[in-house]
Amino acid sequence: MPQTSFDGIALKELVEAGLTWLRTNQQTVNALNVFPVPDGDTGTNMLLTMQSAYAEIANLGHRNAGQMAAAIAQGALMGARGNSGVILSQLWRGFARGVHGHETIDAATLSRAFAEARDTAYKGVVRPVEGTILTVSKDIALAAAAAETQDPLEMLRIIVSAADKSVESTPEFLPILKQAGVVDSGGKGLFFILEGMLRHLDGLSLDAPLISVRPLSAMNLENALEDVEEGQDWEVVVDFRPKADFDLRPFYEQLETMGTSIQVGEGEGMYRMHIHVPLENRYKPIEYILGLGTITKVAIENLLAQMDEIQAETGSPSLELTNIEPGQIAVIAVSPGVGLSRIFASLGVAALVAGGQTMNPSTKDFLDAFDTLPTEKIIILPNNKNIILAANQAKEVSAKQVYVVPSKTIPQGLSALLHLDPAGDVEKVAGKMTRALDSVITGEITVATRSVEIDGVTVREGQVIGLLNGKLAVSAETIAETCLQLLEKAEAATYELITLFYGGDLNHAEANRLADQIRQAYPDQEIEVQEGGQPHYQFIIAIE
Amino acid sequence: MIGLITDSPADLPPRLAQRYQIEVIPAILIIEGKAYRDGLDITRQEFYTRLPGMKTSPTTATPSPLEFASRYRKLLQAGAEQVLGIFTAERLTAIPNIARQAALDFPGQVTVLESGSLSLGIGFQVLAAAEAREKNLTLQAILNAVQSTRQRLKVAAALDTMDYLRRSGRLPAAITRLGGLLHIRPVVELREGQILPLGAARATLSANRLLRQTLLDLGPLEKLAILHTHAEIRAKKFLSELKDAPGMPAHIEIVNVTTVIGTHVGPNGLGFAAITQR
Repeated sequence: MPQTSFDGIALKELVEAGLTWLRTNQQTVNALNVFPVPDGDTGTNMLLTMQSAYAEIANLGHRNAGQMAAAIAQGALMGARGNSGVILSQLWRGFARGVHGHETIDAATLSRAFAEARDTAYKGVVRPVEGTILTVSKDIALAAAAAETQDPLEMLRIIVSAADKSVESTPEFLPILKQAGVVDSGGKGLFFILEGMLRHLDGLSLDAPLISVRPLSAMNLENALEDVEEGQDWEVVVDFRPKADFDLRPFYEQLETMGTSIQVGEGEGMYRMHIHVPLENRYKPIEYILGLGTITKVAIENLLAQMDEIQAETGSPSLELTNIEPGQIAVIAVSPGVGLSRIFASLGVAALVAGGQTMNPSTKDFLDAFDTLPTEKIIILPNNKNIILAANQAKEVSAKQVYVVPSKTIPQGLSALLHLDPAGDVEKVAGKMTRALDSVITGEITVATRSVEIDGVTVREGQVIGLLNGKLAVSAETIAETCLQLLEKAEAATYELITLFYGGDLNHAEANRLADQIRQAYPDQEIEVQEGGQPHYQFIIAIE
Repeated sequence: MIGLITDSPADLPPRLAQRYQIEVIPAILIIEGKAYRDGLDITRQEFYTRLPGMKTSPTTATPSPLEFASRYRKLLQAGAEQVLGIFTAERLTAIPNIARQAALDFPGQVTVLESGSLSLGIGFQVLAAAEAREKNLTLQAILNAVQSTRQRLKVAAALDTMDYLRRSGRLPAAITRLGGLLHIRPVVELREGQILPLGAARATLSANRLLRQTLLDLGPLEKLAILHTHAEIRAKKFLSELKDAPGMPAHIEIVNVTTVIGTHVGPNGLGFAAITQR
């Protein structure tokens, strides 16, 4: 039954389907990470953006498609997180513009909406890069324009197929994707949203397939914390190498009799099983897996105790943020850890937004922070390359005079902050702060989330890696070794001051031990150790 | 003939004080309960060596009104019809006030100016007066020359630490908001007796860069002095990197600033006093 147009309610259903299918495939998108570092997961960012879009329309009953699309765009805008989330929200904004004033959407309007979506997204990025979600949006718009059909459903089918092809071609445009052996994650996320809409119209299931094995790197065990069920408060993680006759189906079935939140990952013949079980069952999965192969590692943890710890951390002593008078410049900094928050506060920051590599704040998070400040003049320090766009979007939306100083790392943010003059001319101050970004070199130490060879550096999953100004630079077996290699690569001997901000997994004594090793290697440099408290990154290093 | 007098925080190089016959009245430094006359009773070398280890911070004091009066008298008796005194900023010290009090005993004979500055920031104003005096100008014309110099004056410094300024209580909130956790090196300007922030740095190299840029932004200079607190190597390096820059005056003085200032800013500080061209 070919249809010629659909209304607002149908659009809402499509958005819900796109959201659901993206959620189902969230980890797949997250796994498409070029660098083997724990960072702002694209799948999660796009999902949160879509969730915010859907929340805006969940209770709306507009038949008017134009009005519905405007509400979707507004929700996406507010919830936009990470670069891909922001571009996704731009796509929705353009889409809404394309269907503005239309009661229903026919094929021609749909085609125009995708063209508008593409134009808006390209305009929202200062230097558009091909081989990304932008390219996919362009190919979609082209396919829609070329489609000779009056049936929007048919057009969607053509679009999904074009998106699929476009995503597969992204490594041709972006050599780094080819090197890493992945396709662009943002483009893939967009594909899943569109495919979810099509699957809904085709009457296909949008749920996760029952049995799925993910690449080990895609296992996001951090977020598993959020869905602790009553009575299932023990987390068991077992790494094992199964015997040759290992069969997934009975394995899953057995695990399901023991607990919930089952995840299985595979990489290079090794398996990792993750499950939540009640206290009395906590040894059962281990005993069971013992019969299936060789266990290499076991971790049993009480999730409720872990959550208490996290809450205790966030409830730590309040920070002394700078009070801002009306007319003065207020700085908002994005901080990934308690220690860093304290340091930012000590340098005159007026508001802090929590976030960093693994948790990118949304546009709305910034807008909320603006509201708490009694001044019109605001400077944002995003301190992460994946947060800059959301900050810029907040600037666009707000009526306040907002400047984004595009700091990509914590050390850059701190360097910029030293040039703050709260009573100065906000444009000049922002310019001065921006010029200070390059006055420091940033090193970051973390553990590789997967094996990869990139920029001539070979990394094995689990190895310690060092990034220099955001680029993978060294890999080694220990943190100390990696730090020393990284400092050598940075030519730290020609600089004066090395500041180590240690992460949440380390304590002060451990950090000092490392600092002593560095002092021996760099006797002429000043070495300063500060608590950073950031997750995943053992050290953030400022060299200046 | 106009007699000229200034105070020791003007950091006037002794050969210039001698050549222009400028009377210099020493400020007083109190170290662990004992009073020293600046530049006479304690050398800069000795002072800075002892400074980090001092149990209590040294403080500064003003010479007595009698001391001022006797210097005025000396100049007048030597043949000066008028005495012009140019002193440390009154926002930072009581010296100009005491000098004015002492001048009340010499009605119509002593003019007291507060410089709004420190170190060669004062010194350059005094030298402007001396140069104008050589041209046999009237007191008013000399005052105009001083005023013109003052308007073209910039004094800035990169301090190695904020500890000493903070202890001295002379650090404005705009600067104290910085730091506490990280070691911060502030770069400040002294304008009309007020300490204003120009920026801050973590490393001395960045602080030097900031200071250098501040200096170069001024354009062509008539006079320049590089100031330091017991950091001669840093000062010489700074100067050598400046030499080829456009608009530098032929002669640039390097001055280890008076202990009276050093006690408030701490060692290893670097700064400049500059007069732009007309």
